[in-house]
Amino acid sequence: MKQVININYHGRIIPIEVTAFELLKRYTESLQKHFTDEEGKDEIINDIENRISELLQETINKGAVCITDDNLNTVIKSMGRPEDFDEVFTAKENSQTDKKENNITAPNKRLFRSENEKLIGGVCGGLANYFGIDVVLVRIIFIILAFSFGVGLIPYLILWIATPSSAVKEIGGVRKKLYRDGENKIAGGVCSGIANYFGINPWIPRAVFILASLSIVFNGNGYHHQIEMFSPGALFIYIICWLVIPEAKTTSEKLQMKGEKVDMNSIKKNIADELKGVQEKVQQAGAETTQLVTKKSTSFFREGIDFVKKIISGAVKIIVFVIKAFVYTVLAIIGIALIISLFSLSFAALAVFPMRTFLISDGWQNVFAWGILLFFILAPVIGIITWIIRKIAGVKGSNKFVTLSFWSLFIIGIMSVIGFVFTMSADFKSTNIKTEEQVLLTNPAVNKLIITYPNEMDTKDDVGFIFSAFMNSYGDDTAYIDNVSIKFRKSPNDSFKVMLSKMSNGKNRQEANAAAAQIQFNIIQKDSLLILDKGIRITRKNKFRNQRLLMTVYVPVGKEVSINNTFELSNDDIFTSQFPKVHEKSEDESTSGKVYMMQQDGLHELIINKE
Amino acid sequence: MNIENTSSQMRKGILEFCILSIIKQEEAYPSDIIEKMKTANLHIFEGTLYPLLTRLKNAEMLTYRWVESNSGPPRKYFSLTEKGAGFYKELESTWNELNNAVKMVIKQQ
Repeated sequence: MKQVININYHGRIIPIEVTAFELLKRYTESLQKHFTDEEGKDEIINDIENRISELLQETINKGAVCITDDNLNTVIKSMGRPEDFDEVFTAKENSQTDKKENNITAPNKRLFRSENEKLIGGVCGGLANYFGIDVVLVRIIFIILAFSFGVGLIPYLILWIATPSSAVKEIGGVRKKLYRDGENKIAGGVCSGIANYFGINPWIPRAVFILASLSIVFNGNGYHHQIEMFSPGALFIYIICWLVIPEAKTTSEKLQMKGEKVDMNSIKKNIADELKGVQEKVQQAGAETTQLVTKKSTSFFREGIDFVKKIISGAVKIIVFVIKAFVYTVLAIIGIALIISLFSLSFAALAVFPMRTFLISDGWQNVFAWGILLFFILAPVIGIITWIIRKIAGVKGSNKFVTLSFWSLFIIGIMSVIGFVFTMSADFKSTNIKTEEQVLLTNPAVNKLIITYPNEMDTKDDVGFIFSAFMNSYGDDTAYIDNVSIKFRKSPNDSFKVMLSKMSNGKNRQEANAAAAQIQFNIIQKDSLLILDKGIRITRKNKFRNQRLLMTVYVPVGKEVSINNTFELSNDDIFTSQFPKVHEKSEDESTSGKVYMMQQDGLHELIINKE
Repeated sequence: MNIENTSSQMRKGILEFCILSIIKQEEAYPSDIIEKMKTANLHIFEGTLYPLLTRLKNAEMLTYRWVESNSGPPRKYFSLTEKGAGFYKELESTWNELNNAVKMVIKQQ
């Protein structure tokens, strides 16, 4: 049975056995003796005692009830006795016995994540320490495992989560707690807080959140990759984290967050802030007491007001927070949408690019086209990607040269756009003289005419997403544009008549006329079917100059007509809107599949009873 | 001749250099220094370190500031002064010279 006393040893309350306390006193005395002639004697001894007190505290924290002789001897051993000091380094034999003793005192060797040897979580370093092998070897094994179907990742993550950090074990190590990092935040500081907790770079959790919020869906067909906007799951989790994880506000919280130390300045500042608060409180209290003296009755009233004020300010805080969260969410959505559209635009531009020869004449226009592609579309994309990466990686400051060159490239891009539009509009300046020619019908006397397109359009040569609206299909030297509008008129006699007028733009009237004359558009009648060509043919020689067709179908009174096609664009596409007047029916309605009958007062839709 | 003593003397000579080097890399708390030395297989008694740090500080090679600690009173964190940095450079060049010289001598044998 041993007596235990509590001592206040350099600011720490240490329960210690009396015998151990005697040992400690003797040790301190021996130090005093040793450093008698030393200049900074008191400081040295103070430092050493301070450290001893820290080590003792550590022992208590590890679960010792009190400091025993053994505990103290271990501490003194690591500090060294005065007679050892001259030896400077503990001899190798010494360290080996040290290890042996450690093994005896701690027979259960435990696996820790290594704080000293870590790249990501210190798992490899910890394993290496545990098995006594080289870290690099362990890392290589994990990397190989990770690349073979990610087998290595799962045990790594499990070990990361399950094993304690060596910071816990190491003397003076600080236990970490999860806080939001308000100082190093982009949105709510959740990611940087998480990064602090795991001791990793903040961009790792950020990238995880961003990637998780974008769910990209690839359709097997190489052309149709859609980016399904973004999944709200990750954002939801983020917001929950934001709400749940407290922000590190006080210095000690910041310390806990990083498991590190905050410098004196911030402590000073913190204290100064607190003092300010105290000052204000004191002043307030002063004011209140004077009021209390003068008007006792009002003080009660005042308290009530204060209480209400508190409630209101709390409510306001909550509202502000909700609004903030909402705004951030919306901003995030908008930002992601913008970036995605920019990317798809650049993809589209790349895909359209080979088609430029259908549109542009050589020379300057080609130069402008390249300028647009490189500097107006690709340069900003690269710039934005760079910016995002830098932002995510937390790179501060900017490289002026890089920024400047991005902007100047972008200006070149803008100039290319201007030049392109300018030269292009010159090419589209004039229109041709309208001519109308009659299409020969093999049997104009049919009772019903069904206007139809060939179905092959949407099968081959489809370049995918956005072009279907513009060009039906294109091959190496031919493209088809879907620039046909149809109007219906009353026929003067009892046979159908189809008139076709070809139109085009051009640099001048002659060119426009020539381009219009070049239009080939086949219309074949097979009984009641009127089969149209799949589009206006554009070749690399025969550039796109807004060639368009207006087909007028004269329908005899009492006969039916319909446009029958699965291809939606054929009746109602962007180009028909150029001729709003010629349509008998409003364009909002899809005319596909509907049957019309010509009557004396015009065209009427026949309502067919579905069976 | 006592071999143990000789190698101890040799180690003693470079101790200051090592400590300055550690502090130069990063502001350090004494137990950090011990830990780093340990990983480099240089085992020292902590009791040796404190007087040395105080001496270096008194010689204006080092300076320290108090940093709040979670587990008790604030700790001293040491960093190099300008003078200390100059001193370190001198030591470094001396060390490099010595190192090269010794290597050469050993090779010639």
